[in-house]
Amino acid sequence: MQVEGALGGDIQAIRRDADVISARQSGRQIAERMGYSRPDQALIATAISELARNIVNYAGKGEIEITPVRRRGRMGLRIIARDHGPGIEDLERAMADGFSTGNSFGLGLPGAKRIMDDFDVVTAVGEGVVVTAIKWMGR
Amino acid sequence: MLEIIASSAEDARDGYDLQKAMKWFDLSPEDRDRTMQLGEISESVAEAIIEAFYEHLLSDPVAAQHFHGPDHVEKVKAGQLRYFRELISAELDDDYIADRRRIGGIHERTGVTPTLYIGAYAFYLNRLATIVLDRMKEEPDSAFPLLLSLFKFAHFDMALALETYVDTREETIRDRERELSELPTPVLQLRPGLLLIPVVGTLDSFRARALTVQLLEGIRAHRARAVVLDITGVAAVDSAVANHLIQTMSAARLMGVRSVLTGLSAEVAQSLVKVGVTAEKLQTAGDLESGIELADRLMAG
Repeated sequence: MQVEGALGGDIQAIRRDADVISARQSGRQIAERMGYSRPDQALIATAISELARNIVNYAGKGEIEITPVRRRGRMGLRIIARDHGPGIEDLERAMADGFSTGNSFGLGLPGAKRIMDDFDVVTAVGEGVVVTAIKWMGR
Repeated sequence: MLEIIASSAEDARDGYDLQKAMKWFDLSPEDRDRTMQLGEISESVAEAIIEAFYEHLLSDPVAAQHFHGPDHVEKVKAGQLRYFRELISAELDDDYIADRRRIGGIHERTGVTPTLYIGAYAFYLNRLATIVLDRMKEEPDSAFPLLLSLFKFAHFDMALALETYVDTREETIRDRERELSELPTPVLQLRPGLLLIPVVGTLDSFRARALTVQLLEGIRAHRARAVVLDITGVAAVDSAVANHLIQTMSAARLMGVRSVLTGLSAEVAQSLVKVGVTAEKLQTAGDLESGIELADRLMAG
């Protein structure tokens, strides 16, 4: 997989609600520049929102990295959500709908997963969470 | 690297770790000994350099606007003289750190941009280094280490001031955000029993709570039986925002009031469904007009 530098990318520190909005707006702009359809732009923005809000709610702070990538000639948008928070104890349950330790729907991770094509979570208790997700173009 | 940058930003809030910062800037007590050796030269030329700098600065009409009158210029010059004297010889302690950080805050408030600040610094360092190298030209091998130590201090110093500059700015932004989020949401009575609430901006948990309170108070004050919540103006609707809205609408339902949500764009609706938000708990309408019609029917039924 290669990073498409020319299309720009962004890294946004996530510490509070306003940062969630900036991250999703930035993701939407990059997706638009890359030529994603409007519904796809909204999906990508929503996925970023869910991942960023998870950071605010569970880790307090972290970052969202948004990068255009290319694999076998196909363009995609990669979102990496990274934090050094408490980590996820039971990943399987966290990936199930409606599981939430906070006061929410518990749709963050599974919701973002449904939107994105590739979805990978690496976590260790006490060390944080790194979610890497890609939405490929034209799927 | 990222770790250090992140932690230095944290230090700015939680108290400064001087040891860590000195390590990062590779500063040691020997560096201070070396800059002190520049004391005599620096002391003899500092004033002249500052004079030259202000001549340079005041020749720029935009920069000159920063000063109101000759007295002000003199005062700032005196401050700068002290500043550079401390750069050479001040003890690196909490007072020093506090002073440098205070300066960053002042710069932010008075419009001294990083370009102006670093430019002034560069002017001073260049002039001073030129003079030092000239006076010590018989012994360049001893002059260089002295200047290198000076440059270390200068960078350390600039980092402190700029860190605070940024913090002060962020604080200002946070204040604005808070002011905005505390703006009351209007509760409008469309006709007896029917309320319209246009929600604008971002809907975080704080604002969502405020919205619920305002809605419930509005219901009581107007003896409403139906409410239309229009979210056309909400910047970012995701599952958390949807959750807030559902809770607000459930609270209204508990008071016997039916509510209708309008202003959800097609794209947002699609993403919400994909994320897993179900519409079961929500009465929605495509646009404001049909939302009002629906609310009317709910009131009648």
